[in-house]
Amino acid sequence: MCSEVQSAQDYMRDPRKHYFSPYMDNGGTTVAIAGEDFVMVASDTRLSRGFNILSREQGKVFNLTPKTMLASTGCWADVLTLNKVLQARLMMYSHEHHDTMSTTAVAQLLSTMLYWRRFFPYYVSNMLVGLDESGKGVVYHYDPVGHMEKLTFSAAGASVSLIQPFLDNQVGAFNMEGVDPPKMTKELARQLIHDSFVSAAERDINTGDGIIIYTITKDGTAEEKIKLRMD
Amino acid sequence: MFLTRSEYDRGVNTFSPEGRLFQVEYAIEAIKLGSTAIGIQTSEGVVLAVEKRITSPLMIPSTIEKIVEIDKHIGCAVSGLVADSRTLVDHARVECANHWFVYNEDMKVESVAQAVSNLAIRFGDSDDDGPAMSRPFGVAMLFAGIDKTGSHLYHMDPSGTFLEFGAKAIGSGSEGAQQSLQESYHKSMTLQEALKVALTVLKQVMEEKVSGTNVEVAAVTPEKGFHRYPQNEVETVIADL
Repeated sequence: MCSEVQSAQDYMRDPRKHYFSPYMDNGGTTVAIAGEDFVMVASDTRLSRGFNILSREQGKVFNLTPKTMLASTGCWADVLTLNKVLQARLMMYSHEHHDTMSTTAVAQLLSTMLYWRRFFPYYVSNMLVGLDESGKGVVYHYDPVGHMEKLTFSAAGASVSLIQPFLDNQVGAFNMEGVDPPKMTKELARQLIHDSFVSAAERDINTGDGIIIYTITKDGTAEEKIKLRMD
Repeated sequence: MFLTRSEYDRGVNTFSPEGRLFQVEYAIEAIKLGSTAIGIQTSEGVVLAVEKRITSPLMIPSTIEKIVEIDKHIGCAVSGLVADSRTLVDHARVECANHWFVYNEDMKVESVAQAVSNLAIRFGDSDDDGPAMSRPFGVAMLFAGIDKTGSHLYHMDPSGTFLEFGAKAIGSGSEGAQQSLQESYHKSMTLQEALKVALTVLKQVMEEKVSGTNVEVAAVTPEKGFHRYPQNEVETVIADL
């Protein structure tokens, strides 16, 4: 009514805290294992929000080029946006340079893109997998602000703390004397990925429902779907 | 003839009724006053050779720099208004560095030519990006380099047009030199042969007697990337001509 009274009330009221929480954790887990001439990458298919399940059939691995895929988990809105921007950058590159991007180039581009958002990051755990210039499988793992590590195997997302130690032991043969890491075959990689997800789904409510495994070789990409427990 | 031009050769972005941009054509004329530069592409790498005009005995010839490094895998020879070329070369270097930063790979020679072309045709249109060059750049450039698709030689003129060549000459002696290159160039040339051809052709078109001090020679090879030839090596080749 009277603006003077109104503003006086505004001025005199108790201090109030304002929250801005733009992020959401939608769960999801990804695992990747590289071999000499292939790379395998998988995600679970559950999308969740707290105790609720938003979807039981949402894969988290995206096609970038015939030799490169991106596995992203975290805030689903950010996953979608990051992927869309990356797809646009890939298209611009192919128009500007008359060539599809190599896996190493995409790897560096993703790191650069994430670091551009250093002070309002995409809330996403990324793994970029593909075949390098010599046809060898590679896995790049990222933190949300673009720190990049080139690996031969890695896990990311909700169940990373359950799966990574398992991979370190079974694929990397870490911290054991007189034990050599096994030669990675597609059969072994598939079995380890399957076991990882089955175990994670037992313990983590944010992982479950199903697995989609992609295998990238020089001949193309193969897809396999496996069911997981749905509770 | 010049009378008919006078109406339409003022504004740099005004077409004449016949569809010509006179300022661009004049800029191309400026190249023909420049010193001769030659590029030859071979499967082993690319050679660049440029004439240095030593106009005074008191001048220090080594301060003339008409072959420059763009990146470790790309070199560039220029002819025309060399001062104009500095802007374009700087742009090319920034683009290469940025490409490495974003993609962690060497920029393709064609992409560098494209990037420089984009700047070369931006004359006259100042906008929010700041003031642009008020006139066309009065230089022609030869981009020599090696990328993932092999060795390449690109030529760009003030109109921004860029084309790939096996061998190309620019500058005052370019007409005669291009003719000679057409006769002596073949696809299976070695780098050493290309170097000899480049200097032979330069010798033909230069007014001065060719020597180790009045030519500048560089090459780009897969092993060494961009590198200049030291004076004594140039002199050895010249002695064999």
